Amino acid sequence: MKNSRRSLLLLLALLALVGAIWLYVLFVAPQPRTLDQQVDDVASQLKCPVCQHESVADSSAAIAQQMRQVIRQQLQSGRSEQQVLRYFADHYGDDILLTPPPQGFHLLAWLMPVALLLIGLGLVSFVLRDWRLKGRPRPATADDSFAELPLDDPELESYRAQLERELAEDDLLFG
Amino acid sequence: MHFSDLGVIALILALGFAAYTLLAAVLGAARAFPPLVTSAKRGGLAVMFCLLLASAALAISFLSHDFGVVYVADQSNRSMPWYFVAAAFYSGQEGSLLYWALMLSVFSSIFIFTSRRAPAALVPYVIATLMGIELFFVLTLVTVSSPFVRFPHAPADGAGLNPLLRDPGMLIHPPTLLMGFMSFSLPFAFAVAAMITGRLDSEWLRSIRRWTLAAWSIQTAGLLLGMWWSYHVLGWGGYWEWDPVENAALFPWLVSTAFLHSTMVQERRGMLKVWNLGLVIAAFALSIFGTFEVRSGLISSVHSFAYSPIGGYFLAFLCVVVLFSLGLFIFRLPKLRPEQEFDSVVSREGSFLLNNFLLVGITAATLWGTLFPLISQSFGHVSETVGAPFYNQVDGPIFVALLLAMGVGPLLAWRRTALHALWRNLLTPTLLAAACALILPLAGVRDVAANIGFTVCAFTAGAILYELWRGMRVRHKHGEPYPVALVLLIQRYRRRYGGYIVHLGLILLAVGIIGSHAFQQEHDANLTSGQAVTIGDYRLVFFGNADTTYPDVETIAAQLQVWHNGQLEDFIYPARNFYPNFQNEPASAISITTDNLTDLYVFLADWQGPSQASFRVFLNPLVPLIWCGGLLMLFGGIICWWPERRRRRIEYARELLSAHRQAIPPQTAAPIAAPAGEEEARA
Repeated sequence: MKNSRRSLLLLLALLALVGAIWLYVLFVAPQPRTLDQQVDDVASQLKCPVCQHESVADSSAAIAQQMRQVIRQQLQSGRSEQQVLRYFADHYGDDILLTPPPQGFHLLAWLMPVALLLIGLGLVSFVLRDWRLKGRPRPATADDSFAELPLDDPELESYRAQLERELAEDDLLFG
Repeated sequence: MHFSDLGVIALILALGFAAYTLLAAVLGAARAFPPLVTSAKRGGLAVMFCLLLASAALAISFLSHDFGVVYVADQSNRSMPWYFVAAAFYSGQEGSLLYWALMLSVFSSIFIFTSRRAPAALVPYVIATLMGIELFFVLTLVTVSSPFVRFPHAPADGAGLNPLLRDPGMLIHPPTLLMGFMSFSLPFAFAVAAMITGRLDSEWLRSIRRWTLAAWSIQTAGLLLGMWWSYHVLGWGGYWEWDPVENAALFPWLVSTAFLHSTMVQERRGMLKVWNLGLVIAAFALSIFGTFEVRSGLISSVHSFAYSPIGGYFLAFLCVVVLFSLGLFIFRLPKLRPEQEFDSVVSREGSFLLNNFLLVGITAATLWGTLFPLISQSFGHVSETVGAPFYNQVDGPIFVALLLAMGVGPLLAWRRTALHALWRNLLTPTLLAAACALILPLAGVRDVAANIGFTVCAFTAGAILYELWRGMRVRHKHGEPYPVALVLLIQRYRRRYGGYIVHLGLILLAVGIIGSHAFQQEHDANLTSGQAVTIGDYRLVFFGNADTTYPDVETIAAQLQVWHNGQLEDFIYPARNFYPNFQNEPASAISITTDNLTDLYVFLADWQGPSQASFRVFLNPLVPLIWCGGLLMLFGGIICWWPERRRRRIEYARELLSAHRQAIPPQTAAPIAAPAGEEEARA
């Protein structure tokens, strides 16, 4: 037990170290993004107007190439990525955005997956509780009484610990 | 009399035989009259024979350039090389439906030949379900979508194949994916048979699992080939676009992956029966939905060369499938009680539950995104597209969680796991992940999402490799050298270690996806002869364009020198191909040079005369890992699927018994030997 506490402390220290380095490298001193990266970022959020389901970043159509040029010029003239996106949305309509903006009716597109996940999570926990409470009634066996017994019985507790230890050791292949 | 007329006759015969087989199988089973079941089996073989005949008729029509057949004239012409003429068989809707029907009948026949191994009570109903599906496809082939319709006057030459499809990938990608869609019929047929007979025992589980595994492997191959084709032909520097049709192929794959995991809970603990049946039915319904979506043009997609009004028929069939299985499901619900109760969330079954939750979560979110434009339209809004950023943001985190669960899950024991034992197993992979998290940011990986992804991959790979290492060490202690121990370990416990291999493959794939997604570099360059473009460590010098005309294609190729770190490495020739009848749709021949796990991807976007051209140049890091990981997944899937010979199983049981008696003291031998025998017997 002492051993595992020591390794837990070691791990916590390691986590703190990782956290510190990540904070420093990623947030305090982030690498400036290159213009190419920024152009690609904006272009991948815009829909190529003449293609089927392709973004401006992916399309090789002439108009997509021109749009990438426009994005590059606008970014070079000092606009932010959001401002460039806004510019395209104003000129071509919201339909130019590859992904629906999270507002109004289109908020539904974003909220639904979250809602589905939450519903699923609720369902899983409900099923789990149901299983644990209403598992098929079985005749009481030694196994059951074992589970029901209070664990403060020191002898029983030592058996149980041994059992778990053995299971953990021999469980390599067939867990 | 043409060969196409023979095809029509064969299709009508196939329709008759399929109807007869369906009736004979059901009657034979319901009246308990075995000769009728035997007759149904032969009827199934007759269906395959007729469809083979019809396919041969279509193939001969293609190869003999019988342009009197509308389908042949639409899809091929005289100048195409013979292998593309042959591949044109499944390039259009009619032919791909015929291919679907043919493959279904071939798989049905394989089932019929091996039906002695399946539970006897189920066999007639499995055959009947398969023939029900077959009936639908042959009916559409005979009535609304016949590949054998003839022109009154045959044209002199055909239109030829769509240029996008004139690629070696075309020879294998569509048939594999169609076969994948089709192969989910077999697990579905088993599910229907089990619900009709009420037999959902372990024998049934074994059969359905192996067929699902086969379907899963084929679908994996189909998806990988699709990614490969997209990467090598479409010229956008990527492999997965979250196109509606790509998503449609992913749905049955995800759902069947969930099934392959949760089925282990049913096998071991007798739980999740209802859920498992639901997954099998969902996988089949989604594969029909996929076929329907490709054919209907319901949602705009890059696969738009396949639209037709046949979508409505598929929608009707989909409704029939869903309603029929739902009815059976409700009818059988009382029989589907769990046999054992749940003990603890921190257990193997708990982790499988989490796995299922995440996989179904990805499916549901992706399905929602795919269908959202339709829903938006029906509420009177402009048709919105839901593009890659949506899926990356929604599915990405779930996928990372799935990877993490993949590392922890196999370390948990059934029923409940002592936390300190789990802790001990987790220590090594956690240290590895921490090392990865430390080194990567310092080595210059500055993307937060990529760092998280790579760290999780390191953790899970560490957990799996550590498991493998411990298994090898146990065998090594018994006197086997390490490589032998590894091979024997995998051979003895195919399902477990095959699964690990699949997981390792998936991790490689994930590393490739994260790397190429986060660190792709892209540059547009408009060059005249002698000019150069620099990207990363590469410098490309443009020389000029050459125009070459072959009998069936005109090629415009640009010549470029590739300099890497100041050294001349290679000459590359990205090109565009013009096919007759498709002058304004030039196909692209992309140049991909792989060095040090990074692809230099050069696409010829445009050109003016011999000395000016514009290129799209990409540096795609780690993309080769995607193909390696995919191959590893396929390999693992085949290991899991590969049948075990009974003789070896008996030999092994004997060997275990003697080892148990002699070498090892009984106290330690018992926990190892007993579950081993059990697992072998189940496998």
